[in-house]
Amino acid sequence: MLPRRIVQFLIIYFLGLAGLLAVKYGLQLSNYVIPGPALIWQTFQAEAVRYLRDVLDTMSIAIIGQVLSICLALLVGIVGRQTTWFGSFVKVAAYNVQAYPIVALAPIIFILLGDGFLSRLLIAAMICYFPLLLSVLGIMAEPIRDIEHFYRMTGRMRWQLEVKIRAFENLGKLTTVVAGSATLAMAGTIVAEFIAANAGIGYSIRIALYQSDLGKILIALFLIGISLSVYQGLLEWCGAFIRRTWESN
Amino acid sequence: MASSASMQLSCRQATFRYPRTATPVFEDLSFEMPGPGFNALFGPSGVGKTTLARLLTGTSRDFAGEIRMDGIDRVLYTYNTERLPGWSAVGTHLERIVAPGQHDLRDRLVALFDMQPHLASRFAQLSLGQKNRINLIRYLLQDFQMLIMDESLANVDEPTREQIILGIKDLFPDRFFLYISHNVVEVAKFCRHILVLAAKGRARPASVVSGRDHNRDGTPDRERLERAMLEIVNAA
Repeated sequence: MLPRRIVQFLIIYFLGLAGLLAVKYGLQLSNYVIPGPALIWQTFQAEAVRYLRDVLDTMSIAIIGQVLSICLALLVGIVGRQTTWFGSFVKVAAYNVQAYPIVALAPIIFILLGDGFLSRLLIAAMICYFPLLLSVLGIMAEPIRDIEHFYRMTGRMRWQLEVKIRAFENLGKLTTVVAGSATLAMAGTIVAEFIAANAGIGYSIRIALYQSDLGKILIALFLIGISLSVYQGLLEWCGAFIRRTWESN
Repeated sequence: MASSASMQLSCRQATFRYPRTATPVFEDLSFEMPGPGFNALFGPSGVGKTTLARLLTGTSRDFAGEIRMDGIDRVLYTYNTERLPGWSAVGTHLERIVAPGQHDLRDRLVALFDMQPHLASRFAQLSLGQKNRINLIRYLLQDFQMLIMDESLANVDEPTREQIILGIKDLFPDRFFLYISHNVVEVAKFCRHILVLAAKGRARPASVVSGRDHNRDGTPDRERLERAMLEIVNAA
């Protein structure tokens, strides 16, 4: 799982890089526009440690934001699964709110909360929350009729059992959704850092952008991709571990 | 619990159609079926056996006509594609749903259904027939007066099925069973009454045919059995 994710990322990254170099040499562009392999390597040696620290800073915020989103999405998803008016209200509200580009609210958050930790966290959580909520709502609102029938017929169904049945039956889907939301949380944090933050890899990319230094940007992208692949691989492994443990109890 | 002697299932001019459909599943359905006992609901595919079964459970009251269940307060409905949750062994699931004082019955049913060697297995590890059997056991352990078994033994081999039906008849003589099956020999042989739903276009949409109600201590009369089978086939 984990090695496969890393290998997939490396293949895509180096294919992209090869494409850029093909453009550079095909059009005979200078190192100022697209740096050559030697210059990229030099930049890597000079910036990798600092950028890795920035990536970890960004990722820590993304992970906290994602965990908050998961908890909230599970809570709202469990409430919203019901066929009551409140459940329907939650579902309709979630579908409508997620249609709005949340990132457009980022400037308001920065104006109200400043450009520190809290703004980045809030934007990361908001960006990954709504897609996560829709998936959790979809899973929790879908009855597993073949299993639930007995408990309904005999009056044994409780909300905890209903949630347990639906979560267990959809554990694979939930794991995929959670792993996918890691990308959204990371994207949200980086977007926040692009806009106004004073730390993180998004902030470093913004500086590199002002300097028109594509080499630094390529190194940042490489470190973001590797870190995210490792994180997503670990999430998938956790999902598989939970399923194995649950099944063997 | 009501006296089993006064059990009766009756239906008067019942008509049911699913929402937004023009053709009714069944129309002007009328019959009377006395209970208790091991009875059957028989008919070709699509005549509304499962729909009628669901109406009997009271999950839908959106039909015309009248369905009466005298002396029957608690109806359970089970079908052959039901599953048990996969997080525990099937024996653990049984343990959780068995009522106090019913452990002896559980052990007898497990032995009768030949499921003892499989209690430590997960539901997904069982064969289709074993899945059907363990599912039926958990329903038989519940408090019910009528149990509708919708092809509940569909994947069980014939000798085991016979043992199970005879066992159920021994253990629950005061309950009303409605066994949905496409096996004409089986329903004619083991059932007391067979409610036959006829194919669309027939003059009588439903008939109640007497079956041979074969028990463990009797020998089925071949000629009478064949007559009952013929009557069922003609009514369908």
